[in-house]
Amino acid sequence: MVGAEEAARLDRLEIQVENGGGGAWEYLCLVRKLKPRRSDKVLKHGLAILNDPKARSNLGGEEWTLYEQVAFAAFDCQQHNVAKVFSLSLSLPLHIKSEKHLMDCVAVLSKEFPGSLRVGRLEGMLLEAENSWAEAEKVYARLLEDNPLDQIIYKRKVAIAKAQGDLKVAVDFLNKYLEIFMSDHDAWRELAEIYVSLQMYKQAAFCYEELLLSQPTVSLYHLAYAEANESQCIEYSGFIILLFLRFLLTAFIEQVLYTMGGLENLLTAKKYYASTITLSGGKNTRALYGICLCSAAISQLTKGRSKEEKESSDLPSLAAEALLRDYKYRAPKKLPLLNSMLKNMKLSS
Amino acid sequence: MAADCCYEVSQIAYVKLVLHALKHPSSAVNGLLLGRLRQDGSTATVEVADAVPLSHAQIGLLPALEIALIQIEEHFEAEGLSVVGYYHANERHNDLELGNAAKKIGDHIFRYFPRAAVLLLDNNKLQKLKTGKGRDPAVQLYTRDSSRSWRQTGSDGSNQLTLKEPTANIVLFDYISSEKWQQIVDFDDHLDDISKDWLNPGLFD
Repeated sequence: MVGAEEAARLDRLEIQVENGGGGAWEYLCLVRKLKPRRSDKVLKHGLAILNDPKARSNLGGEEWTLYEQVAFAAFDCQQHNVAKVFSLSLSLPLHIKSEKHLMDCVAVLSKEFPGSLRVGRLEGMLLEAENSWAEAEKVYARLLEDNPLDQIIYKRKVAIAKAQGDLKVAVDFLNKYLEIFMSDHDAWRELAEIYVSLQMYKQAAFCYEELLLSQPTVSLYHLAYAEANESQCIEYSGFIILLFLRFLLTAFIEQVLYTMGGLENLLTAKKYYASTITLSGGKNTRALYGICLCSAAISQLTKGRSKEEKESSDLPSLAAEALLRDYKYRAPKKLPLLNSMLKNMKLSS
Repeated sequence: MAADCCYEVSQIAYVKLVLHALKHPSSAVNGLLLGRLRQDGSTATVEVADAVPLSHAQIGLLPALEIALIQIEEHFEAEGLSVVGYYHANERHNDLELGNAAKKIGDHIFRYFPRAAVLLLDNNKLQKLKTGKGRDPAVQLYTRDSSRSWRQTGSDGSNQLTLKEPTANIVLFDYISSEKWQQIVDFDDHLDDISKDWLNPGLFD
């Protein structure tokens, strides 16, 4: 995850390079470090450096890293020809520029550098980019035999499953991967996102729980956990809020399946929205909205119950106030909409 | 019920939804369609007048969708428009299936507007557009039939889905060439930075 300052620096550099102000190498290094997905820019500026013999020789040993980076960018932009050239160059210690020569070298290279894991991976990715899934899987299976603990190859297998639309298979692979590499946060996040896209909110929540345990101060996980919990409740009860705002209570009651499960999820969600707000210094708009939605839903679900069980805290109205304040300064045009929404939820007067 | 209904998509709505999809090529995107129902004698036409892009990440998470529905409904009520449909673009290039998340949201909109339309972006047609050769709208239309499932219409050659302005594809192609998609803002962007306006005023000036 990228810090705000570094993100700003990245954007500045990008603009500078785009306008011909130099600093392309610095930009590319920062992209490698922060890993945002800016493949078209990387491809453009990386190629510019590589095609200039003087700039290239200035890089020294880093030249191969650049080749790799540009190859990845080329895969992403579906520029297979470029990628082909570069994956071959990486295995070549010499600067051979003729394409025909390069194509001929494929067979020779695989024989000459059979053990190079990095190049092997690139070859696999090239096959992936060309949608030759079976071939790619064969390459990875072969690489895995010699390198059974290579994390990147496992992830490529997940990527292949995902690209073919086999989400259940991808989930399977990821689960197996996580049994070995339990502390891989990116993998937990990826798994959670796949579960969310399959509307398997409970499983997604489980993934976020793992992340919360290992990185309890990352507000993003608190927020995601809260949203997964709330989604679970909303799904079950069918869009509570919209119904009760637009129709009479009777219509609403028909729709709502009141269960302890639903209420529990909402309470959990509210707790984690609150912790998100604490961790983010009160600035997270989604968490503030989340508190408002949860409180409105909870008070609707607990209507008619005894007073002790009802929520009694200032949190919802404070969240509403914070939202109103923020909108007043930064999005005044939307303030009336927000106002009326909060009024309907009885969170502001 | 929806079999005899025509759907007319305005240029603004059409261009917005395609630009939204182009801005986030590596993820699924979705959004709402706003419009009204027009009755000319025996034919009913749903005029899709505008579109509001919703999100490009974690579409399955529902709280943001709820907030968006509330605010969007309220805003457009003043203009006499209501939510008449939903659009969706799949994550994968060759995925032309209407996923479960899209169907669920479509079901919800159907409860309020029985002629609700779901537009699914057709990546193949969009590809043709990029080369300047497309004439059809780059979307597929789904409506709910009597068996409560979403079915693709117009596949038998009938013209249920039309673009209101025939020059829409040409205009879209222009915008694509000038990378206009970078300026489009969706509700997700708004939640990350509330100074960004999901109404996209001034996008087409």
